[in-house]
Amino acid sequence: MLQNFFKVAIRNLIRHKGFSFINIAGLTFGLTACMLITLFVWDEKQYDRFLPNGERVYRIYNESTNNEGVRMLAPVPPMFATTLQQDFPAVEKTARIMMQPEYSRLFEAGKVKLYEASGFYVDSTYFDIFQLPFKYGSRKDALDDPASIVISEEMSRRFFGNDNPVGKSLLMEKQPFFVKGVFYKHPKFHLQFNYLVPMAAAGIPADRIQSWRWQQFYSYVKVKKGADVQKLEAEFKKTVAQKTETFRKEDRMTFNPFFQRLEDIHLYSADFKYDMSVRGNITYVKALTIIAVFILLIACFNFINLATAKSLQRAKEVGVRKSIGANRKQLMIQFTGETILLAFISILFSVVLTFLFLPLLNQFTDKQISFPLFTNPIVLLLLFLLTVLVGVLAGFYPALVLSGFHPVKVLKGNVVSDVLPGRIPWLRHGLVVIQFTLSVLLIISALVVYRQVKYLHNKDLGFSKEQIMFFPMRGDQLFRNHESFKNELLQSPGISSVSIGYGFPGDAVAGDQIIVPRNGEQKIYSATHLIVDHDYIKTLGLQLVVGRDFSKQIKTDKDEAFIINETAVKELGFGTPGRALGQTLLWPTWNDQRPDSLKKGMIIGVVKDFHYKSLYDKLETAVLHIYPDAYWKVAVKMKAAAIDQSIQHVKQVWNRYTPDYPIEYNFLDESFGKMYKAEDKLKALVWVFTAIAISVGCLGLFGLAAFAAERRKKEVGIRKVLGASVRGVVLLLSKDFVKLVLISLLIASPVAWYFMNQWLQDFAYRIDLGLWVFVVAGVSALMIALITVSFQAIKAAIANPVKSLRTE
Amino acid sequence: MIKITNLEKIYRTEEVETVALNKLSMQVAEGEFVAVMGPSGCGKSTLLNILGLLDDPDGGSFLFNGIEVSRFNERKRADLRKRNIGFVFQSFNLIDELTVFENVELPLIYLGVSTSERKSRVEAVLDKMQIMHRRNHYPQQLSGGQQQRVAVARAVVNKPKLILADEPTGNLDSSNGNEVMQLLTDLNEQGTTIVMVTHSEHDARYSHRIIRMLDGQTVLENLMV
Ligand SMILES: Nc1ncnc2c1ncn2[C@@H]1O[C@H](COP(=O)(O)OP(=O)(O)OP(=O)(O)O)[C@@H](O)[C@H]1O
Ligand SMILES: [Mg+2]
Repeated sequence: MLQNFFKVAIRNLIRHKGFSFINIAGLTFGLTACMLITLFVWDEKQYDRFLPNGERVYRIYNESTNNEGVRMLAPVPPMFATTLQQDFPAVEKTARIMMQPEYSRLFEAGKVKLYEASGFYVDSTYFDIFQLPFKYGSRKDALDDPASIVISEEMSRRFFGNDNPVGKSLLMEKQPFFVKGVFYKHPKFHLQFNYLVPMAAAGIPADRIQSWRWQQFYSYVKVKKGADVQKLEAEFKKTVAQKTETFRKEDRMTFNPFFQRLEDIHLYSADFKYDMSVRGNITYVKALTIIAVFILLIACFNFINLATAKSLQRAKEVGVRKSIGANRKQLMIQFTGETILLAFISILFSVVLTFLFLPLLNQFTDKQISFPLFTNPIVLLLLFLLTVLVGVLAGFYPALVLSGFHPVKVLKGNVVSDVLPGRIPWLRHGLVVIQFTLSVLLIISALVVYRQVKYLHNKDLGFSKEQIMFFPMRGDQLFRNHESFKNELLQSPGISSVSIGYGFPGDAVAGDQIIVPRNGEQKIYSATHLIVDHDYIKTLGLQLVVGRDFSKQIKTDKDEAFIINETAVKELGFGTPGRALGQTLLWPTWNDQRPDSLKKGMIIGVVKDFHYKSLYDKLETAVLHIYPDAYWKVAVKMKAAAIDQSIQHVKQVWNRYTPDYPIEYNFLDESFGKMYKAEDKLKALVWVFTAIAISVGCLGLFGLAAFAAERRKKEVGIRKVLGASVRGVVLLLSKDFVKLVLISLLIASPVAWYFMNQWLQDFAYRIDLGLWVFVVAGVSALMIALITVSFQAIKAAIANPVKSLRTE
Repeated sequence: MIKITNLEKIYRTEEVETVALNKLSMQVAEGEFVAVMGPSGCGKSTLLNILGLLDDPDGGSFLFNGIEVSRFNERKRADLRKRNIGFVFQSFNLIDELTVFENVELPLIYLGVSTSERKSRVEAVLDKMQIMHRRNHYPQQLSGGQQQRVAVARAVVNKPKLILADEPTGNLDSSNGNEVMQLLTDLNEQGTTIVMVTHSEHDARYSHRIIRMLDGQTVLENLMV
């Protein structure tokens, strides 16, 4: 029996080529998109699962509340780990990694001299928690000696070639370390480090490591087997609340620690601050999953629509089979089986396409996803299940309709629409509405994402980031002579100004506090400190609202002057910029020798707010002042002409001041562009998949319109004989579809409005969801539908009526 | 074999109610060849469809081999049908996607006959109908007479006890028509019961008995001599 079904199925496919093509193409597109998305999503979910005993490892993060609101902080105070290890028996081991600004250090081994990024100070227990495989040396005591360093296999190759470097010396910023081990990096590890140095080498003062408020350490715990983590977390929360009670009252700052499962770190930390793990975003993963399901549904609905529309053509077969003795179940099996066959063919094509497109996806997402079709039997099983699922999903309803035909009616010959139960057009229309609703949803999302991303890139940030060369100072000599270094840079006619400081836009900024003396009291506020020089405002093109810039003529500016931003005016309670002028501010300096020293100064100016962080972050209180001890980075503003000569000049001067270090620079606008890489990629992905979803939907609509035109051929013929114009006929045939698209628009708009608003909430600075987005989406959906449908309608309308009437 | 009493069938559409069969009673004995005649719209096809268990009546009783079948569900009807009844239609009703051989084979497939037996039985029937040389052709490639012979072959391949034919010669010219009538006569002589609807007095003469219908009722039965 199966053989017979199969034969009929194949012959049907061949006989109705157009129908088969539309269905197979639609399903293939849909399935390919689904497979690619599935591979991507699966890959995203693989992070950190390779680590032995990973299910017992947790990261502690902090929900920290202060005057600026609630933030999730990845780094926590050092005492968190210490306390967990000492006072909580459920804890087996803890390990900390000290947070440091993104900064590459100079390494030297023999003749090789290179900058290396991504290295950290860690507790010696690091490898007890993250049991990475070692190539050389042993994991056990790798970090016991303060002078030891452990490096990655890649880094080892860069410095020592194929030799075993264990025991060899490696200079880090001129300081000698001995290589104790070489570990293998794992692409699915959330910590992509190149080298690790024992915490003991960081020289942290004893009192600082006892701190309950210095949020500087990524802290991990490995709990004992069978430990109750919820209880542990609850108890630890209590401990933290107790220990931080004093400054909770004083500074209105509260800590609330959480345990995060190791395998959740990659996807569920998107909104964490100061996190340096390799992060994905569960929102995007979910969005892509939804899109994949949408596309698959659209493809299946196409099939259902076309198959039911086409069922008239197979009515006779059903009648004959029934009169011969086939029962309904057998017919159901037959027709569903045919769909499964179709799905199977589509799956074969999509597997090929997936192989073809995977390299593209990999290149685009910087991943190394493979399609383990031949190595993993689960994949085959899944594909098999997918075939059956799609076959049943798409085939069940048409099979139900077909097998339900009454043999007497369909065999009467000249069957017309009365064979189809009344609800069919409803269903078909319903499915078209759902398809278009999904398409309109995607179009609106694509438009909103596009506009927001464009906004991120183009928003006036309040400073000029063009033609600013940017680099850190290196070597003692340069730090000591930065003033004359700056003057020599300015010798070049191509360089218009130079600023040295710490806290440039797009780069690390220091979060700290500022004290406002008021009514005999000292009020403490959180504030970002931008350490500047006399040329900072000029170099970045900041605008002063009131007051003046720092001046070399006024000697007190160096030690007793502050400039604040507009947000600070509000946050610190001055009311208006004018009233802020002349107010006193106090700041506990970063002087290690004299920890109690206070810098006291007056506000001499207010700058217009500018975005020194990404647009995800709200503007904060910022205080600009001169503090040469913290000078670190150099920003060189160049004139547009002759940039190459100017860079050359900077390099020459650099080499005179600090020849031991190669210069490493970038441009401020580039690093700003990189901040929105994830959004750029999201934008591209949403567009691609929207295009796929729309194409698949259009394929179906095209087929449906073809059937409608076919069915109404005689009507059209008669109307034309009676004098209808081509335009009138096209309108007649397109009217129904236009109505459906309009209904879709009505359904999709509020849904899209809701979800896109949700997404935009992530950004502190965002576009308004204008009405026109919905208008544009609606008009484009309508246009797409009209073009698709009118192709068929026009064909029907210009056909010779005599011919179509004669064939009836 | 067939005994129907007071059979009723009413078609209801929005405006009108058509009584297609009006308390119709009749009997067909095993081995008989009965022709049903009457003006267009008098309910002949309706009657045949009910006899073939393709449709159910709205009232009355229908005994098939002594079993009341008028209230059978679809499954049971399909089962009874595939074992006992063969159909021949005016418009042949062959499946376009299947070859001559496969069309004839179909009833045996639903009966669950093994492949080898199917082959021999189909070939035997095709031989008898003299269309063996066309076994791998598709219906569209055959003449009307050839198509109807295939349809007859399909109707008889599972050796049904009853063949129902609705104007089997309606779409054929007289020589092709006669050929089909001869086939039916031969089958009847071998013991198959036949009920045939026809408009042709000529064709009716092949039968043993003619039932004449008018407005959903039998009005006359004449025995052929
Ligand atoms: N599906 C239907 N819905 C409504 N009325 C129907 C339907 N099928 C048949 N009828 C009506 O039932 C009556 C009997 O129809 P039937 O097809 O049995 O006639 P017939 O005797 O076979 O006619 P003909 O010789 O033209 O084939 C007719 O009046 C017809 O209009
Ligand atoms: Mg009839």
